Amino acid sequence: MTRTRTTKKLAQRIDLNYFKRPTPQKRAKLWLSLLLPLLALVWIAERAIFKDSRVYSSGRLSEPHAVLEKECAACHAQKAGAFSAKAADNACLACHDGPIHHAAQTPTPGCATCHTEHRGRKNISAANNQACTECHADLKAGDSSARFASHVRSFEDGHPEIGALRLVAGIPASDPGTIKLNHTIHMKPVRRGPNGPNVQLECGNCHRVTAADADLTYADPKYRAATVSYRDADEFLPLHSETLKAPRSITGRELMAPVKFANACAACHLLTFDKRFDFGVPHDKPEVIHTFLVRTYREYIAVLPAEVRVLRDPSRDLTGKPLPPEVRFLTHAQWVTERTAEAENLLWRKTCNQCHTLTSFAKTSGRKIGLSVSQESDVNRLSSVSAELPYVAPASITLRWMPHAKFDHGSHDGFTCISCHARAMTSAESSDVLLPSIATCKTCHAPGPEHAESRCFECHTYHDWSKRKEVTPKFTLPALRTGGN
Amino acid sequence: MDKTQRGWALASLAILAPSAFVYVLYVFEAPQGPRGGSVIGLTFGVIGFAFMIFAALLGARKRVPTWRVGRAQAWMCGHLWLGFLALPMILFHGGFHFGGTLTRVLMWLLIITVFSGVFGTALQHYIPRVMTSDVPLETIYDEIGRVRTLLREEGDRAIESICGNLGLSKTSSEEAQRAGGFTALRTMSAAAVPLRTSAAVSAGASAAVAAAPEIILLSEEESAPLCRFYLNEMCPFLERPKQRGQRLGDAAKASSAFAGLRTLLPATAHVALADLEDICDEARQLTRQERLHHWLHGWLLLHIPLSLALILLGAIHAVMALRY
Repeated sequence: MTRTRTTKKLAQRIDLNYFKRPTPQKRAKLWLSLLLPLLALVWIAERAIFKDSRVYSSGRLSEPHAVLEKECAACHAQKAGAFSAKAADNACLACHDGPIHHAAQTPTPGCATCHTEHRGRKNISAANNQACTECHADLKAGDSSARFASHVRSFEDGHPEIGALRLVAGIPASDPGTIKLNHTIHMKPVRRGPNGPNVQLECGNCHRVTAADADLTYADPKYRAATVSYRDADEFLPLHSETLKAPRSITGRELMAPVKFANACAACHLLTFDKRFDFGVPHDKPEVIHTFLVRTYREYIAVLPAEVRVLRDPSRDLTGKPLPPEVRFLTHAQWVTERTAEAENLLWRKTCNQCHTLTSFAKTSGRKIGLSVSQESDVNRLSSVSAELPYVAPASITLRWMPHAKFDHGSHDGFTCISCHARAMTSAESSDVLLPSIATCKTCHAPGPEHAESRCFECHTYHDWSKRKEVTPKFTLPALRTGGN
Repeated sequence: MDKTQRGWALASLAILAPSAFVYVLYVFEAPQGPRGGSVIGLTFGVIGFAFMIFAALLGARKRVPTWRVGRAQAWMCGHLWLGFLALPMILFHGGFHFGGTLTRVLMWLLIITVFSGVFGTALQHYIPRVMTSDVPLETIYDEIGRVRTLLREEGDRAIESICGNLGLSKTSSEEAQRAGGFTALRTMSAAAVPLRTSAAVSAGASAAVAAAPEIILLSEEESAPLCRFYLNEMCPFLERPKQRGQRLGDAAKASSAFAGLRTLLPATAHVALADLEDICDEARQLTRQERLHHWLHGWLLLHIPLSLALILLGAIHAVMALRY
């Protein structure tokens, strides 16, 4: 081992100017350090030349706005001479009107507070709970705080029971409707008409969403075809004045249609009034029924005048009152009046009263009878006929039970009715409110991946769409697709 | 971790922990989740970008070492820790969303830059130790090619000193001196020169001294195995040391090859044979050094250009974010 390697000799074999020579690694480092930033600059410059500002986008637009992906200026309008081109509320309001929530609300947030764009293909109307709880966690909106829960932090924390189910002064809320309906009886096998077979009703026989065709299993075509003098709308309770209406019904499957006599009741609940006739009275106002009866009897007696000879009914002997003569001869008018009175007695006291609330009686001569034009002549001819007509209370059907929330029956199609409306099976009073409790909602609607959405927007609407104003459109299709203005 | 690093680590933790706390609060309070454009989001963005700028300034500081702006070690620590902190700050800034095209590019540039830096830091801690143990004959990386040429020439001279002129040696005596002048010097003043072998260097000896015996030319028959070995195996190895499958590329195989040769050659040739073995060992070490050097500095080819692009695009993003 004789090979020598002294420091001096080792130094001798090193070129002392070695650091001045570029090595491949140094050269590569230098060139890459120049090339990469240069490439970045070229990329930015190329985008600028083509006036494509999308490169600066902080994320993809939401689905409804995806068509504006190339149209940055649609929202980011630059003022003359200004560098800033931030999206302002005006840009949103140019296409969408966004009515305020409440006149007394403080503060009024900007659009972007709740509707954040550039967060990808998500539902831009799905505002975060904080946007609502900013006020509703500690509500101080004047007198509203007395009527609304003032400390709602989320659906799980502080949300009150559904308004229609809340106790008012310790008394459970009741259905203001006046139609008498015993759900328990109707959910058991019931006889179809006086002599019909036993049938088992389903919820859907009577209750259908507004967009669906009515189930006609228990309908009567004659009643369906008949024109009535009352309007359906008169039978509904007016919406709460502060109801925040949804912008529009999207599917028509959100709410249940009101139950109609002609569609759901007429097949079983016959409005018969006399054995002489195999049809019933119209399902209409008492005045109309009275006119119908008088006309029907007049026509009848005109065809069968022998009927004016009235034989005493043997069953009348039970009353203890003085018996009428065995045979009576009446004039046509007397006969019509007697038969009309008998029929009305049956209707007002039994048939109509079974479902409707007949609260008081009035003389027909004492008030104007609302009839259709076709019946006007009958009224004139029968003006001499006097009868006590009842006052039928309006049905007062509640169309929207949750004026401050929206519910979509269509989205809950997969569930049986009684899984939520279980009380319908045991409810005997029409005053029972058969809405499910909010606890029922919470079984599915809760935070977490295994539950349905539970954020505020799922049921509540911020904007008061009843105050919506129309906006003037500004885009044209060709311009939008080509990126022009 | 030394004291200096511990101080920086604690300082970084002191920055990161409250930042994370503020971010978590911010996430729960922000109506629409964290956004880069909010006050808190912008604050995180500004801090993160400032850290990036500071980290990038290390390059400038290295280019002008005479600048009296803090110690180089402090700059390096700041580069490491603040550069690393830039990543969480920017993630807080963007709410862990990568956003649009430019921001996504920026996020990936940042991630790659930071992780390449972390990788490089780990290598800078590990490889020098490996280098010290595996490459005691380490030379200046840039001169490896040159030293390798000199080794070849030295080998040529050594073989010709015992086998006669094979037409290999072309170097002048001056070049031989620069190469270490092993064989030539030995013939001229062999007894007087103190020797320091690679083995001695490996063992940590400061100056292993031995007397060099005089060289005796071998007969053609005696030198035939050595000539064959040199021309067929050693020359290709010295010229192309990275080529796979060479016996001399592996220390154990090389040792056994030389041991075999030693049995075939007379004792007078063993000294020259030891020189040749030493030359092969040095060549092997240079190859190892090259490989380690590529690991040690190769990540910079990614780290530096990407960080420059990151700073440039980050500045553009900052300006355009103010606009939109």
